[in-house]
Amino acid sequence: MNNFKIYQCENSIDGIFTAIYQAWDSGYGHANVKIEEQSETNNYSNIELFSDYILVKTNLEQALMVSKSIKAKISLEAYEMVCRVALSDYKGKGDLIYRFLILGFHIGSKIVGHLSNKVVNSVFKLNRYVNGETHHLLGFIRFSERENGILTSIIHPKNNVLSLVTPHFADRLPNERFVIFDGNRNICSLHLPGKPWVIAEFPDIDTSDFEGIVDDEYENLWKIFFDNIAIKERINPKLQRNNLPIRFRKDMTEFEYV
Amino acid sequence: MIIQEGMSIQRKLEILSDAAKFDVACTSSGVDRKGNGSGIGNSLACGICHTFSADGRCISLLKILFTNECIFDCKYCINRSSNDVVRASFTPTEVCELTMEFYRRNYIEGLFLSSGIMVSPNHTMELIFEALRMLREEYHFNGYIHCKAIPGTDPVLVEAIGWYADRMSVNLELPTASSLKQLAPHKSRKNILKPIRQIQLRRENNNEYLGIYDGRQNERNQVKNLILRDSNSGSNNSIYNKILNSYNSKLNQASEYNSVRLDNELNVASPESTNVIPFSKSPKGRSRYVPAGQSTQMIIGATNESDYHIMSVSETLYDNFDLKRVFYSAFVNVNNDSNLPSTVSGPPLLREHRLYQADWLLRFYGFKIAELLTEKNPNFNVLLDPKCDWALRHLEIFPVEVNKADYYTLLRVPGIGVNSARRITTARKTAVLDFKDLKAMGIVLKRAVYFITCGGKMMYPIKLNEDFITRELLSVKDRLPFGIEKDITYKQLSLFDDVSFKPDDRLVHQQISLA
Ligand code: SF4
Repeated sequence: MNNFKIYQCENSIDGIFTAIYQAWDSGYGHANVKIEEQSETNNYSNIELFSDYILVKTNLEQALMVSKSIKAKISLEAYEMVCRVALSDYKGKGDLIYRFLILGFHIGSKIVGHLSNKVVNSVFKLNRYVNGETHHLLGFIRFSERENGILTSIIHPKNNVLSLVTPHFADRLPNERFVIFDGNRNICSLHLPGKPWVIAEFPDIDTSDFEGIVDDEYENLWKIFFDNIAIKERINPKLQRNNLPIRFRKDMTEFEYV
Repeated sequence: MIIQEGMSIQRKLEILSDAAKFDVACTSSGVDRKGNGSGIGNSLACGICHTFSADGRCISLLKILFTNECIFDCKYCINRSSNDVVRASFTPTEVCELTMEFYRRNYIEGLFLSSGIMVSPNHTMELIFEALRMLREEYHFNGYIHCKAIPGTDPVLVEAIGWYADRMSVNLELPTASSLKQLAPHKSRKNILKPIRQIQLRRENNNEYLGIYDGRQNERNQVKNLILRDSNSGSNNSIYNKILNSYNSKLNQASEYNSVRLDNELNVASPESTNVIPFSKSPKGRSRYVPAGQSTQMIIGATNESDYHIMSVSETLYDNFDLKRVFYSAFVNVNNDSNLPSTVSGPPLLREHRLYQADWLLRFYGFKIAELLTEKNPNFNVLLDPKCDWALRHLEIFPVEVNKADYYTLLRVPGIGVNSARRITTARKTAVLDFKDLKAMGIVLKRAVYFITCGGKMMYPIKLNEDFITRELLSVKDRLPFGIEKDITYKQLSLFDDVSFKPDDRLVHQQISLA
């Protein structure tokens, strides 16, 4: 019998693109294949009976072909949208991207306007979600100055937004050495003056490795400012919580109390 | 007056941030500036909130007073000369260091520098000028700077500061000249409007010279043009004909007294006002004069002006003075002054909220104040937001067809904001939309159902009856900011100007308030 084929791939843009390339190329037909990325929270989903599992090894050349065709045959906008979906923490994003591309290659650049289509709509929602967290972090990221003058920041984002936030800081702080560490994924972006920034994986460090005791006068001044700027007559924790979700606070200087 | 010698920087920051907290303008909008590869800083038009203080307000700038010393005695102000409070002043170097070090750590988008008046307006503004000049030229700070201009400052100084600041503002303080006289005896309307006009003219001059047109102004003009065009074309499927007609007749009744008032005040009071730009050359490397434009703020509820009065002033400021934002600040009686309204039971936050909602309608929805309020009906409905209130009074133009109505018509539908209207106009290019589609697109129908059709049909068979719809709308929870009423889900009408995820797209603001 004709078994359903499940392509299991790495949880990365390249991994997902490789799987898409292979699934497309296989000739099994879109209805008979499914992409399944290794998710961040649970490694593989329930094994489905009557399905064949195909383990996809990430292949940069194949991934590149996919990105090129998206840009050429759909649009740059669609490409960026797909990338953001791939960086999200949504389970099943690989297959969503696959379904989106099927439509996209068929319809072309107008695909992004098909908001009443379920697949397109999901892609849109995920984009807003990822953009939202990125935008939050542009503001909420805090750097601490270490003894050696390196600015260090630790974040715990839901989505894999490191590659989306770093360019902003590279542009803003061209003369600084800085490090942003994603404590949920053990990846780090690094920037040195006059050089392009990079992202590197550090499987065996964790946030505590960054916690040297640094007595930074300006952290103290910032807390003073933060406490004093609130208007007592308008204290409103609910509004504050709504605007600044609690989950961000553990990485923010002004919410650290000794 | 208590002046402490050798005060620590911590103590100064404590005093001078505390003293600045009532200033509401907290924007970093309108300027998109990439880093220059050296120095430090860039600026995003969309604005970034760095944190939210305990009162729920966005913090994006280091908001401080340069000094809280003051020779003036404004009744509503904690720093008035007759108050016995601890006084402190920064030095220009201290301001620079704080700004730079906060900026590096990503605490802030930039600096918002306001000040009391030490010795004289000119003396104070000279120190502020020095702080800004040092920041830009010695510290190579390329981030955002918002600077207050003190009324009565020499125009030459105002001119010079404008080359270093992104935004400047002069507080209007109170909506009328007579309230101002009463509460801020040392200030005069003329002294306040003069620098506003000066900066406006200088900006126009500079933009013309550079061949830059102003995006926002352009947008406003588009709205206006659209209204005109629609009315000329005589097309029947736009509600603009009807709106325009009712607007014109209202305007005739209401006389233009209100909208030209500020201009008159300025012209009568200062005949030299058209000639206030002193000669100066831009400093090296700075080609734009106050690129983010001007804002101002008014205190709400300290005096007895009506909402109509306040909003008419705002409209004039937007239309004739090219202001980017008018801020409304609910009065807090910090001095427990018995001559001023008591705010023991809380500042007038709901009123402030309604004014901000109406302000959005003016700036992004193509509304005119004469459509929302009149001399006879001069205050906003506390129970309904201004747009619902307006729609209920214009049921004759509803329902509108979602698949046909133009963008600005959609914007007039209660519950449909800028984001929803955009999504609809995009999506209907490829499909005929029904209610299911609207829901899937994340468009909230709670209010809108009473005002729209999809494919000629309403979602439920509803009679367009004012009483009925009013009752239904009132049962939909008004999304007020937390703390104004209990149990509301609402995502801030922040005092922050532009929260959007598309820096290039100034219309996609947080439209939460009006949706
Ligand atoms: S001028 Fe008036 S409002 Fe400004 S600091 Fe002095 S007293 Fe306060």
